[in-house]
Amino acid sequence: MIVAEQKSLEEIKSLVGNAEKVLVVGCGTCVTVCFAGGAREAAIVSASLRMSSKLDGNPKEVTDVTVQRQCEWEYLDEIAAQVEAVDVVLSLGCGIGVQAIAEHFPNTWVVPGLNTTFLGLPTEQGTWVERCAACGDCLLGLTGGICPIARCSKSLLNGPCGGSIDGHCEIDDEIPCGWQLIYDRLNSKGKLDMLMDIQPPKNWSTSRDGGPRKIVREDLRLNEKEESGS
Amino acid sequence: MPGDCHYLEGNTNARRRVNHLQDLLEKIGLEKERVRMFNLSAAMAGQFVEMANEMTEQIKVLGPNPLRNSQKESEE
Amino acid sequence: MTEEKLQIVAYCCEYCAYAAADLAGGLRMQYPPEIRIVMLPCTGKMDILLALQALEEGADGVMVAG
Ligand code: SF4
Ligand code: SF4
Repeated sequence: MIVAEQKSLEEIKSLVGNAEKVLVVGCGTCVTVCFAGGAREAAIVSASLRMSSKLDGNPKEVTDVTVQRQCEWEYLDEIAAQVEAVDVVLSLGCGIGVQAIAEHFPNTWVVPGLNTTFLGLPTEQGTWVERCAACGDCLLGLTGGICPIARCSKSLLNGPCGGSIDGHCEIDDEIPCGWQLIYDRLNSKGKLDMLMDIQPPKNWSTSRDGGPRKIVREDLRLNEKEESGS
Repeated sequence: MPGDCHYLEGNTNARRRVNHLQDLLEKIGLEKERVRMFNLSAAMAGQFVEMANEMTEQIKVLGPNPLRNSQKESEE
Repeated sequence: MTEEKLQIVAYCCEYCAYAAADLAGGLRMQYPPEIRIVMLPCTGKMDILLALQALEEGADGVMVAG
């Protein structure tokens, strides 16, 4: 899932600025399950903004609504009337949600209420850890399902650096060495020989180095007639 | 009492949430002392009265909730 | 307006604090009328959003007891 964290109320207040009518928009997918921007969080942020602006002597009209997914036009259509009625939209979606709102409602001023942080998972209740860097050319088949890009601090491809100490990464004792994890995993599967193959430098053109990425699936596109709505 | 909860950990979870709410109140600009957690057992009637008095005294010191004013007239 | 009654919402666990309050009542012990008890099945049900809404609506204090 996409993991995000709420911005401080102070920063949110400065982003909202002088706007009098604010719509807090939550998102019902990734940021709901990481407890950053779902319906509950939207209600709490909205109450906090109302209370705090009233205490500041400038009460704002703050309402909240949560859509299933901010990153699809169909779900945004449902809130068009509410979006148009306010001065600013505070999106509690990930960065994609914020941009989707900006793109879908060109007349609207939208600001982010979250910091979109990484792609990861909850390792235990209340703890989320990064697992993938969306490099566009997945190597997990070479490493027993442990990502060397996201989980090795230096994104090394051919084994650990010299700083791997007792299973910990040299940049921080709290971080397990990604390559130790890969080694242990391959060892337990009897596949250590896989490490004997030297990996050539990674082709980063599939990652961010080639600019914004795009996927087009001809088999899924609408034909011209369907697109024009007839 | 902590560690002696009917649902085992309900009141320790509650305490963590009360702490979180107190932090949030400070950011909002309300005194965090307006929210407080107490622990007691079913037999502690005297302690219940004590904590009710203590809380009421604390709130009297803080005075009325500044968010209350405008709604007041319509309510009573 | 001068003598406004304070309102304190007390979220009480059914199995301990609420029972203690009940017992206090049974023993005719006095406690301040400002306290308004809301029974919860467990203080683990204590909800930040509900408590925040109580304060937004003008409650002067919130206590959680369990
Ligand atoms: S190799 Fe690339 S795509 Fe695969 S998990 Fe790592 S970052 Fe993600
Ligand atoms: S110690 Fe391990 S995880 Fe850290 S940079 Fe070196 S190889 Fe990567």
